[in-house]
Amino acid sequence: MNINTHTNIKEAKEAESCTVPAYVCLENISLTLSEKSILKEVSFSLPATGISSLIGPSGAGKSSLLRCLTNLYGNWQGVISVAGVNTHSWLGGEDALRRHIGLIAQKPSVFPASIHDNVIFGLSRKERKQDQSLRIEQCLKQAALWNEVKDRLHEAANTLSVGQQQRLCMARALALEPKVLLLDEPTASLDPHSKQLIEASLHDLAKEMPSLCVTHDLEQAQRLQGQIIFMCDGKIIETATVNDFFQSPKRLETREFLRWSVCDCD
Amino acid sequence: MKVFLSLLALPALLLPLACFLYIIIQALPALNWELIVGSNTAGNLFGDAANAGHGIWSQVSGSLLMMFLACVLAAPIALSIALFHALWASPRQQRVLIILLQILQGIPPIVYGLCGLVLLVHLLHWGISLAAGGVILAVVILPLLSSNAIHALQRIPIEQTESAKALGLSVGTMITRVWFPAAWSGMLTGLLLAMARALSETAPILFTATVFSGVLWPDSIFSPVTSLQTHIFYLAQEGSNAHAVDMAWASAAVLLALVICFSLSARFLRRYEELS
Repeated sequence: MNINTHTNIKEAKEAESCTVPAYVCLENISLTLSEKSILKEVSFSLPATGISSLIGPSGAGKSSLLRCLTNLYGNWQGVISVAGVNTHSWLGGEDALRRHIGLIAQKPSVFPASIHDNVIFGLSRKERKQDQSLRIEQCLKQAALWNEVKDRLHEAANTLSVGQQQRLCMARALALEPKVLLLDEPTASLDPHSKQLIEASLHDLAKEMPSLCVTHDLEQAQRLQGQIIFMCDGKIIETATVNDFFQSPKRLETREFLRWSVCDCD
Repeated sequence: MKVFLSLLALPALLLPLACFLYIIIQALPALNWELIVGSNTAGNLFGDAANAGHGIWSQVSGSLLMMFLACVLAAPIALSIALFHALWASPRQQRVLIILLQILQGIPPIVYGLCGLVLLVHLLHWGISLAAGGVILAVVILPLLSSNAIHALQRIPIEQTESAKALGLSVGTMITRVWFPAAWSGMLTGLLLAMARALSETAPILFTATVFSGVLWPDSIFSPVTSLQTHIFYLAQEGSNAHAVDMAWASAAVLLALVICFSLSARFLRRYEELS
């Protein structure tokens, strides 16, 4: 290992540390599933607003990381703090934590109910009984779906196209008024128009809350701007701004990934 | 090759059809509406004037009563087993649970009947009773019901469960608002199949619940009951009495019709589930 590599590792660790004020902070997150190490001491932080793109090859552990953040995987080690509070001691438990952190999955999954009921699905029984028209309209507008469904709110949600269902899932997550937004390849199976709409709403939402978007699409990561977090084989390789990441990547693995879309970091 | 395999598969189609037709043909002389809605043929056959009648309604209702009692007892336990399997069991516990259910399904029904006789009838002093029969039938159908409930929950897409959890829904809310609406048809199919199984079981209730004659309707849950299955068994033993044999065939046809009814309902429900 030469001096240059030492410097790179030091810089990377400094970038990953949670000494700067951050809304979401992950420190040394490790996860083992079926005796396989999925995440290896992952550390990074998300600022109070703005988009961060989590990129890396398939199997790097990106989706697993989002599941750790929302406690869908409960057997991870390390410390995750949101708004300065350790998620293990979150007031109200993991259900309350999940309402605080909105997660939009890669594959849209609407419930067998109307569009209207899907948007308010996560609300409490008391809230659902009250008139939620304004909230539904606002969330559907935020998810860029309002114009397409405003006249058919009581139709079954599964009659929507995949792209519309994905935006409906986004509206459903937003109805809970989350303070953090996690998106797991939200545009992976969508047409260019739906992709554009989701990216535009993401930009608007990121002005109010920290958003972490997992993506395979490097062009999308560039369009989203903000911070880039590059993961490979369960480790964070490099964290940088969009310009630094694409124009002057510090790590050899990053350069290889940008050139050939593969990463050999064993 | 195709013809050879088709010929091998032919008995699977023809045998049940032949059995069904044979039962109908044999049952025709005694089969009529009066038989189904009338009460207590047994008293008539054996000169019990006090209980004389012309039909098998009390046997049909006894069978249905025991079947419903068994389902009422077994369904909540099967549901709990399925929920435990889906929510809290470790992969190892899940494997052990499935193996145990398979073993329980393989135990001969007569063994359950014997256990019921010793434990419920004698040890707990329930006597030959509807309660003992219902409990033993519940034990017999429990593995089938549990397996079907487990499979119904397993068919729910993982994305639905993860979406519900990601919305911060509690386990109870997720079960009632996401899992049950998605799995109800699968669970109901399992229940209908279990009903058909309970209706067709004879051995477990032979020692524990049923008597041949003297009962039209059980006075209480701890009274003996008559059933169609054991009625056929007793009538078939009276080989020298031509009327008894005719009655046995007619009763068999009615029982078969009931079992087919439940099985076909389950089949239609499964089709509906697949389509939806």
